[in-house]
Amino acid sequence: LSSLVARFAANTFWLGRYLERTENVARILHINETYARDKPEGPDWQRVLDLYSDSDRFHEDHEEASEQAVLQFYILDRNNPTSIISSIINARENARSVRHLISTEMWTHLNMFYSQLLKMNAREIQPSRLANTANDIILNCQTFEGIAEGTFLRGEPACFYHLGKYIERADQTTRILDIGYGLLPIGKGDAVTSVQWNVLLRSVCGYHAYRSRYPGRSRVKDIERFLLYDTEFPRALALCVGRITERIRDMEKRHGTKRHSEVERTRRELEFALETGPGNDITPEKLHAFLDRFQLLLANVTDAVRQTYFG
Amino acid sequence: MSDYDCGAFYCEMRSQQDQPLLTQITKRLDELDIRALRRRARDAERELFNLGITFTVYTDRDAIDRILPFDVIPRVLSKQDWATIDSGVKQRVAALNLFLHDIYHDEKILKDGIIPAQLVKGNKNYRPEMQGVDVPQGTYVHICGTDLVRDEKGTFLVLEDNGRCPSGVSYVLENRHLMMRAFPDLANGIPIADVDAYGSRLARAMSEVAPQDVSDPTIVLLSPGIYNSAYFEHVFLAREMGVQLVEGRDLLVDDDMVFMRTTSGKQRVDVIYRRIDDAFLDPKAFRPDSTLGVPGLFAAYCKGNVNLANAVGTGVADDKAVYAYVPRIIRYYLDEDPILPNVPTNICGEDKGLTKTLDSLDKLVIKPVGEAGGYGVVVGPRASKRELAKLHALVKADPGNYISQPMVGLSVSPTLIDRAIEPRHVDLRPFALTGEDTWVLPGGLTRVAMKRGSLIVNSSQGGGSKDTWVLV
Repeated sequence: LSSLVARFAANTFWLGRYLERTENVARILHINETYARDKPEGPDWQRVLDLYSDSDRFHEDHEEASEQAVLQFYILDRNNPTSIISSIINARENARSVRHLISTEMWTHLNMFYSQLLKMNAREIQPSRLANTANDIILNCQTFEGIAEGTFLRGEPACFYHLGKYIERADQTTRILDIGYGLLPIGKGDAVTSVQWNVLLRSVCGYHAYRSRYPGRSRVKDIERFLLYDTEFPRALALCVGRITERIRDMEKRHGTKRHSEVERTRRELEFALETGPGNDITPEKLHAFLDRFQLLLANVTDAVRQTYFG
Repeated sequence: MSDYDCGAFYCEMRSQQDQPLLTQITKRLDELDIRALRRRARDAERELFNLGITFTVYTDRDAIDRILPFDVIPRVLSKQDWATIDSGVKQRVAALNLFLHDIYHDEKILKDGIIPAQLVKGNKNYRPEMQGVDVPQGTYVHICGTDLVRDEKGTFLVLEDNGRCPSGVSYVLENRHLMMRAFPDLANGIPIADVDAYGSRLARAMSEVAPQDVSDPTIVLLSPGIYNSAYFEHVFLAREMGVQLVEGRDLLVDDDMVFMRTTSGKQRVDVIYRRIDDAFLDPKAFRPDSTLGVPGLFAAYCKGNVNLANAVGTGVADDKAVYAYVPRIIRYYLDEDPILPNVPTNICGEDKGLTKTLDSLDKLVIKPVGEAGGYGVVVGPRASKRELAKLHALVKADPGNYISQPMVGLSVSPTLIDRAIEPRHVDLRPFALTGEDTWVLPGGLTRVAMKRGSLIVNSSQGGGSKDTWVLV
């Protein structure tokens, strides 16, 4: 059986990551605009810059984190490597290199999505139209994911694609949790009543899922348990780590334990960190420290995979 | 098509109305109104774009995808015409392979004076490094694209042999798929030869020419990469063959063996279908500045540890100067008359050809033999007196550097232009695959000059393509 060219392992891994990132960025912009009307003058956009640690870069060229400027920065700015347009350009360039390994349907959809984004102008990211535009981007990502689910041969390329996707998803969930938790009024009786917890749950597409899991209850402890440990919620860290583990096991089966040892070591660290968790009597500081470390461990897994498999 | 007038040219549809199936297709086309045709044509072009069946033009900031214009009216070839093309192409490929083996081994054809030795050995595409190198099955030209045109009488003539890296076959298959989606009604009940076997045939041919001791060879397609304008075709072929599409940086040579860098380390490679010119293949053997190639590849090839398709040094066989000699090459090796004649060619290096050329410069097309891509070609009837006088002196001074040919009135095919169907000139490139033996894809790339009166069918100059139906 022929092994995958190392460069293609990297291409499929990043294809998975860029699409996952695009979907999350679009959702966060949309949620921030629609639900986070926490200030009389409108939503706080600096928060989104903080979420992605992009504040310094943003303020090099912009004075103020105005709505228009931040939306431009995250959707249409090609000079910003974390913008949606940059992510999709990168996704497409990666897909182009492995076009013979992914399905034609995946390529065609990504190609159409890309053409659509290239045509997008400043009018479409105005506040009045942002919801539509963001939903459209999210739907495009979800459609791609559905097409991949239904057409992508589950060989080695798909393995790297899924690994990239779940590493990125876990990373996005930690960022959303980090910023969202900081905003939650935590105090007497652990009760969360403000609108922020909606924002938080909606940011990870988990509002209704949470409702059905904990009917009639809105407690910080439950939200924490839900987003960290629920193995049935697609964006919970536990589920992402589970998927990462499965893919890493697949690789081990293909390439043997010896070659694989560094990847396995970093994976175990990640798993262990989640098991230990942020500890009891959670405070925003403790949670922040945990999430920070978790992001670092995800980066370590990526690094080990890169060094072992990307040639 | 009531206003359609093809003039004195042979028409691929009108001039074949003795064929009942062509009459039937013409009738069906007549029944479609022009607006419906245009709508379907627009849909088809949008689909090409969405599917990414494009060539890409890169600027500093953007990657611009362009489609090869697609004409929705198919070019149809009768069973009889195809039989001639099929056997003619096979004959030509067989002769070219024997010729290449000979000039890189015993040089009998040169010693027998059939073709001037200088023409071969002085040719810039002749590779002295190939002298004495044995290639599996004696096959040099594994993939061949022979450019054919049809004259006023309807006779197919060979315009050019493409024996290096002929491209365009992906359009043959994609045009067919597009046509069947856009016009299922047009083809209903018409027996058309299937083109889908190309990829598996290509993979089979590549296996057949693997180094001798390899039973289940690893085949790869070597591309210059995503920035190459033909990258879509490379993707297409890799997918159809089920092989990996690699770049030079994915391969390495160790101990005269070729490997690719994979997720499980180095993996041996046996056959490389390369879409990179000889000059860029290996910086150690050819151009040292090539970053597309693989250092040491040529040495591995000479040792027989890996095979390349097409072979190194085939360019000498599809050269313009050698082209003029192909009918003699066919007679020399096969003892047969050419089934597909050349466009009549005067070889100015020979007295008879020189006299003929100088006597009627104003009626002929004069081509310098060393140049590629139409450079330096003079079309006599369109040249000024001064230009002709200058050319006269040039040809006289260095006759060996020139050939001349009469103007050929290329056949036309009905083509959808704006709001009408008009005749446009076409050519045909059938594709032949050779492993142990030769197979010709029943179809081929029909290129069409979209500008009225133009004879230039190249995609770089606004040419388009058509689906090519071979009736069975």
